[in-house]
Amino acid sequence: MGKTFRGGVHPLGHKELSRDIPFETYLPQGEMVYPLGQHIGRPASPIVKKGDRVLAGQLIAEASAFVSANIVSGCSGTVKAVDKHRTIAGTMAECVIIENDGLYETVPGVGTLVDFHTLSREEIIAKVKKAGIIGMGGAGFPTHVKLMPKDPDAIRYVIVNGAECEPYITCDDQLMRTHANDIITGLRVLLSLFPNARGVIVIEDNKKEAIRAMETAASGSKGISVKAVPVKYPQGGERSCISVVTGAHYGITQLPADVGCIVDNVGTVYAIYKAVCESTPLMERGITITGEAVNTPHNYMTRIGVSCRELLEHAGGLKESGAVKVMAGGPMMGIAFDSLDVPMCKNNNAFTFLASDEVAEAQKIQTACIRCGRCVRVCPQGLTPQLMSAALEKKDYDRYENKLHGLECISCGSCTFICPAKRPLTQEFKVAKAEIMAAKRAAQAKEGAKS
Amino acid sequence: MNERLNVSSSPHTRSTLSTGHVMRDIVISLIPVSAFGVWHFGIRALLVLLCSVCAAVLTELIFDKICKRGDTWKDGSAVITGLLLGLCIPSTVPLYAPVLGSVFAILFVKCFFGGLGKNFMNPALAGRCFLLISFGSRMTNYAYTDAVSSATPLAELANDHTVNLSQMFIGNGNVTGVIGCSVLGLLIGICYLFIVDAITWEIPVASVVTFALFIGIFGGHGFDPMYLLAHLMGGGIIMGSFFMATDPVTSPMTTEGQLIYGAAVGLLSGIFRVFATSADSVSYAIIISNLLTPLIDEYVVPLPFGLRKGAAQEHIGSSAFNPKMLLPALRLCLITLLAGLGLAGVYNMTKDTIEQQKEAKRIQSYKEVLPEAEELGYDDDLKAIVDGMAGEVYGTDFGKAYINDLIVGKDASGETVGYVVGVTSNDGFDGPISLSVGVDTEGTIQKISFTELNETAGMGMKCGDPEFKDQFNGRSVTRFTLNKAGGSSSDEEIDSVSGASISSGAVVNAVNAALDFLHENVM
Repeated sequence: MGKTFRGGVHPLGHKELSRDIPFETYLPQGEMVYPLGQHIGRPASPIVKKGDRVLAGQLIAEASAFVSANIVSGCSGTVKAVDKHRTIAGTMAECVIIENDGLYETVPGVGTLVDFHTLSREEIIAKVKKAGIIGMGGAGFPTHVKLMPKDPDAIRYVIVNGAECEPYITCDDQLMRTHANDIITGLRVLLSLFPNARGVIVIEDNKKEAIRAMETAASGSKGISVKAVPVKYPQGGERSCISVVTGAHYGITQLPADVGCIVDNVGTVYAIYKAVCESTPLMERGITITGEAVNTPHNYMTRIGVSCRELLEHAGGLKESGAVKVMAGGPMMGIAFDSLDVPMCKNNNAFTFLASDEVAEAQKIQTACIRCGRCVRVCPQGLTPQLMSAALEKKDYDRYENKLHGLECISCGSCTFICPAKRPLTQEFKVAKAEIMAAKRAAQAKEGAKS
Repeated sequence: MNERLNVSSSPHTRSTLSTGHVMRDIVISLIPVSAFGVWHFGIRALLVLLCSVCAAVLTELIFDKICKRGDTWKDGSAVITGLLLGLCIPSTVPLYAPVLGSVFAILFVKCFFGGLGKNFMNPALAGRCFLLISFGSRMTNYAYTDAVSSATPLAELANDHTVNLSQMFIGNGNVTGVIGCSVLGLLIGICYLFIVDAITWEIPVASVVTFALFIGIFGGHGFDPMYLLAHLMGGGIIMGSFFMATDPVTSPMTTEGQLIYGAAVGLLSGIFRVFATSADSVSYAIIISNLLTPLIDEYVVPLPFGLRKGAAQEHIGSSAFNPKMLLPALRLCLITLLAGLGLAGVYNMTKDTIEQQKEAKRIQSYKEVLPEAEELGYDDDLKAIVDGMAGEVYGTDFGKAYINDLIVGKDASGETVGYVVGVTSNDGFDGPISLSVGVDTEGTIQKISFTELNETAGMGMKCGDPEFKDQFNGRSVTRFTLNKAGGSSSDEEIDSVSGASISSGAVVNAVNAALDFLHENVM
């Protein structure tokens, strides 16, 4: 057995539903919606207004700060509104809404091939920024920011995250099988930014075809290797990837760059390849439509902005019994939402339609904590969830934060998953972390007002 | 399309594990040892187990109903408490004992403290200790092996008597012990627990290793494998370490904490077994360690991986096993070793003195009960008879009485003037009672004197007072009877100590055994 990180759990994979279904390229016909705040950081500022005609690949909203990202239209058509629209988070958020004309007229110049060796470091980063690339594994952190660490020479590893440890999701698997050469080229673009770095592609060993494809593509490239790792959740977490490649751990206030690493999802690296070598901004991505409630699970290569309902209908709709729960992403960290009329964003790798809700079932057999300690053993951060939960029960936020280091929790859900008493541990920690951070911000604001 | 979708915070999936599963696995793991117990001790053992389990579940059910707090009795934890309690008491106890024990365990130790997950000590062990205190020697009164306590193999081994290891292992020896005394049955259960991943190794291994080290160093026989094995198998250390100390509610959360806790269980068990007179080393060791758990959980909180010293350094090529993980265990071993060596020093310095004092006390007691004798000595023929029945209950009418010694007293001219019989009764309320009985050649009792009396203060202990023991002086009868009411008139009757008829009866039986032995073999 290969080396693995500490802790972790083994949820059922369910990947057999869609793993061997090849990508289908789908050009959406319906209305396209682009939330301005679909990345981490400040929401982008719209640069189009109602009535404007836009082309596919055209910039429609601009990064408004250093940590922010451009947004590009995935279709041609007319701007219908810049207004509130329902999003996956369940809120009404500011969006650019485009009436799709279905013609897919593209901005001139898109698709022009470029040899990245001729580009300077600054030019590459500018292209990434212009393309609006963000972390496509789920986090949505603007990639150009990640590519500008304080000391580029201190970066020793560029890790391409192809672990895809979330149950159900298979779009990264398909991407690696079908676009291995492009991903390797994308990685070489990244390595050109970090002279002292080696490239490592981390893939869970249940994706044999992807491993073979990546190994074939990587053979002959100096300083690039493929690392097959045992299947265990959350292998796809940034920290787990770094731990399994370098053995290093780091605190929640630190970044991968602090331990000499840059970690990017395979989807992100592919987007970097498209932006730098094919002059194509981020307007499409792979996404898995899956779950027991779906008639025919699909892996799509489709345009960002398409509505969840349109994709589902194209995939053959729901089975008669219907869906009980729908989420963006997988069941471990995915976000459940209650309306299908929400747009797919840059960082959505799957829409999963569940026919039964395990959470509702689990609540029926919830008991008091039996202190079995399983949560402590599975925590990939080395925390003590049981003690943290007990502290929260007493509203002892000080103990939670300072004695038990509860802010180090990455909300991976392993403790909640394993708990035999079905305690909502991760959920309690999310609330606690939000409250503590809010209190800190309030205290800072007060401090700022005084001085 | 009818869209009524559930929304909740992630994760949206749960393992198939549930509290019921966890409890069920433990119950399954206890089935082999229960089966061995019933096979060896018969239907009576089954009755005891049923009584304790039913009482435990019923108690929780009634508490649930009275307090209107849902159906916690269904979660299976009460079954485990009842089963564990039943397994660590002998099958010979009256059936109300397991019932009382279970009620105490569930009601006072668990429910009153908040139910599942809130009990401050292992309910089954608390129930057992409650019974031990309430029923005294009836709980531990058996020949040589039992599951949770085992002062007796120690005694056997100390006397250079061999213990049949294979019988202890299977639990089918000619012994009367607690129901769950089959080590084989326990091991099958332990294998099951490991296979279904229901326990971790930290607590039991730390406990057993610490215990074995302690016995090896202080047991007086070094690391003799047979001796260690007898201690490990004969004493509830296996049952205790794997099934009781691992009770998650009353053991620490973290690996480091569990190692400390396990070592504490092993260390205390060792200390109690070697140095204390209590028959129940492991029970008390675990209960005391249970009380340490909140303290350990307060102070032994590991830093998250990301905040540990050197966390950011690369460890390329290092395996998942980090030798540093062994450091806390090594430190613990060192502390245990040092503490042990200190104790051993004190013990060795005082050991000879204690032995000398005991011997002197014995001779003193012999002289005291036969004042006419100038010289005390053995008669070879009589000594052979006494040695011939070592360890066997004497006669059928005297309860569990043992003849230990027969001394012939002679005057200055070498004429036999009387005999001293050393006799022990195991029917005492709180353990064995030993006494010397001095009888002249006519069969008249000169005096009796206690060499071992550990009865309840103010009650059974009063047997040592002249008001009671001097009743025997100068009487020439073959068989005494106990008069519980007091105010005896005939020579045969002995007034019982008020409120301590069990202790008094044991003394009378012992004296009767001594007289009977003399009449049968000497006079």
